[in-house]
Amino acid sequence: MKNHGHFGKYGGRYVPEMLMPALEELEKVYEKVKKNKSFQKEVHYYLQTFAGRPTPLTYAKNLTEKLGGAKIYLKNEGLNHTGAHKITHCIGQALIARMLGKKRLIAETGAGQHGVATATVAAKFGFSCTVYMGETDVYRQRPNVFLMERLGAKVVPVAFGNRTLKDAVNAAIKDWITNVDSTHYVLGSVVGPHPYPIMNRDFQSVVGKEVKKQIIKAEGKMPDYIIACVGGGSNAMGIFYPFIKEKLVNLIGVEAGGKGKRIGQHASRFNGGSVGVLEGFKSYFLQDNDGQIQKTHSISAGLDYAGIGPELVYLRDKKRMQFAAVNDKEVIEAVSVLSKTEGIIPALESAHAVAYALKLAHTLSKSKVIIINISGRGDKDLFILARAFKDKNFFNFLKSQLSI
Amino acid sequence: MNSIDIRLRKIQKEKRIGLMTHVVVGYPSLFETVSLVETMERAGADFIELQIPFSDPLADGPTIMKACEKALRKGVRVRDAFRVAAQLKKKVEVPLLFMAYYNNVFKYGVKRFCTDAKKAGVSGLIIPDMPIDEEHGEHFFAACKKNNLYAIRVISPVSTIGRLKKNAKGAKGFVYCMARQGTTGAQKKIDPNVVAFLKKVKEVFKIPVAVGFGISKKEHVDLLKRQVDIVIVGSAIIDAINRSNRKEIAKSTQQFIESLIKVPR
Repeated sequence: MKNHGHFGKYGGRYVPEMLMPALEELEKVYEKVKKNKSFQKEVHYYLQTFAGRPTPLTYAKNLTEKLGGAKIYLKNEGLNHTGAHKITHCIGQALIARMLGKKRLIAETGAGQHGVATATVAAKFGFSCTVYMGETDVYRQRPNVFLMERLGAKVVPVAFGNRTLKDAVNAAIKDWITNVDSTHYVLGSVVGPHPYPIMNRDFQSVVGKEVKKQIIKAEGKMPDYIIACVGGGSNAMGIFYPFIKEKLVNLIGVEAGGKGKRIGQHASRFNGGSVGVLEGFKSYFLQDNDGQIQKTHSISAGLDYAGIGPELVYLRDKKRMQFAAVNDKEVIEAVSVLSKTEGIIPALESAHAVAYALKLAHTLSKSKVIIINISGRGDKDLFILARAFKDKNFFNFLKSQLSI
Repeated sequence: MNSIDIRLRKIQKEKRIGLMTHVVVGYPSLFETVSLVETMERAGADFIELQIPFSDPLADGPTIMKACEKALRKGVRVRDAFRVAAQLKKKVEVPLLFMAYYNNVFKYGVKRFCTDAKKAGVSGLIIPDMPIDEEHGEHFFAACKKNNLYAIRVISPVSTIGRLKKNAKGAKGFVYCMARQGTTGAQKKIDPNVVAFLKKVKEVFKIPVAVGFGISKKEHVDLLKRQVDIVIVGSAIIDAINRSNRKEIAKSTQQFIESLIKVPR
């Protein structure tokens, strides 16, 4: 039987009939371009000449010596144009949308990185663009709202539900239901109805392919661990996917532990979550016994999604990957450590992977190799970090700007 | 025989258009849900959808979304819907249908949901995000069939002939057609393209046709009268409830429904 986007019992396409034709069309076109060399060449062209691929794999010498254990490498996806890995699947989807004859792109965004990347490809390839963002996230990641608007996108704050990423997805789907003829929905992670989880994973797998070549060149062998943060899971699936068959490589996903273990205080789907169906796919969700989706919290707006990519749950069930969670405090500490030892300020999302590596590295022998996916850079977190580090001078500067 | 068929026969015999109305279970309160359904039957509703409130109602516009949010904030549970239905079954004759999103059904347990729905006297289920394409893993339509519950198919103006045929297979009762592409919610005008869409539907489906999404006025009903067997009114009734003084909800609802289907006698 043909696989309709199922990973074991997860994934699938649980959408109302009004979205079925658009998803079937998207799937058909994607299946076609996947094998089409000239399409792949075009994607590659823009990844190289516009997004800045390949991104470097950097040996974190100082951090390795400081921790005194495994050798640590950083895949610096923060060096992508627009500051994170998100631009990669946005370029791919924009080229598909053009092929579908769509005139308008819509997207949801949490941290704003996927929104900025969508607004960027919309400007580059001549689409109009609307980005949905939870009201809470608009407030938390205001610099990215500014950037999206400068890029010509309309940013719509979502004022229902928990006012974060899940609600932005709902709002974007509602828009798509209404405007499906003219619009392509640039879903920004490996979640949602088929074919999104597969399509975004395929686009993002360029990250893992690069890492494979880079680490062989640097170390002459496969890594022992790859660590990535997991919200929906696009950066994780991207770096993990080419390594799934390399059974000796440990794949570790790091969830947002937030500020506590109780429901509502974190976004760790494997701490209190269960199987459910939401936003078009079956996976793990933080929900109550009735199936009502619960509130989440994370210091990083990009990781507080109540669900997780279906393929990641499948890989966990198969024991091919493990999950861990780190809390907000450990994340802030990780930002500080990586910035000062390696000269790289990671996004709060990516700092989750760093925080876990800080706990793991010293327990391993010096012959082991860890790769951390630094999925984005920390510029967007200026205001959250300024508050976390209690930077009085910065706030005085903000006050002085207001009085000009 | 399913009570939906009995009612459909009655509508056909009386040579009139049928009406399906809608409530969100627990909005404005569980107590008022029961009395609203009784009022709706009195006002002439032929079928009533009891929507189980969900935290993320994907296909619903602001009116129903807010009603769900309020019901959930009051602590309404999925089990309350079964309780309300069972209670109503003793008071009304109108066929009741559950409208729900699949996650609520899935978490409750598909089999258990269907047997409990039957026990509560419900005649059909409308689950818009449980497509026939996922039946191989869910066995939802099979569980409905086993319990003599009609799993109402919801189709849209963008449905291709292929999709219509897929949905028509094994469809029972009536088919729920969206009058326009979009989420639920009252509209000023009915999309004129709906006529062509309905023609396409009638070529594929051999069961009565119901139309919903955006219907809020008598002129909408009159426009559709010759095209379809049933009109569905949801958000517009909640809007009327919201406009009304809390003590006069029953009266306003009755007046609003009568204004939609009143025929000069």
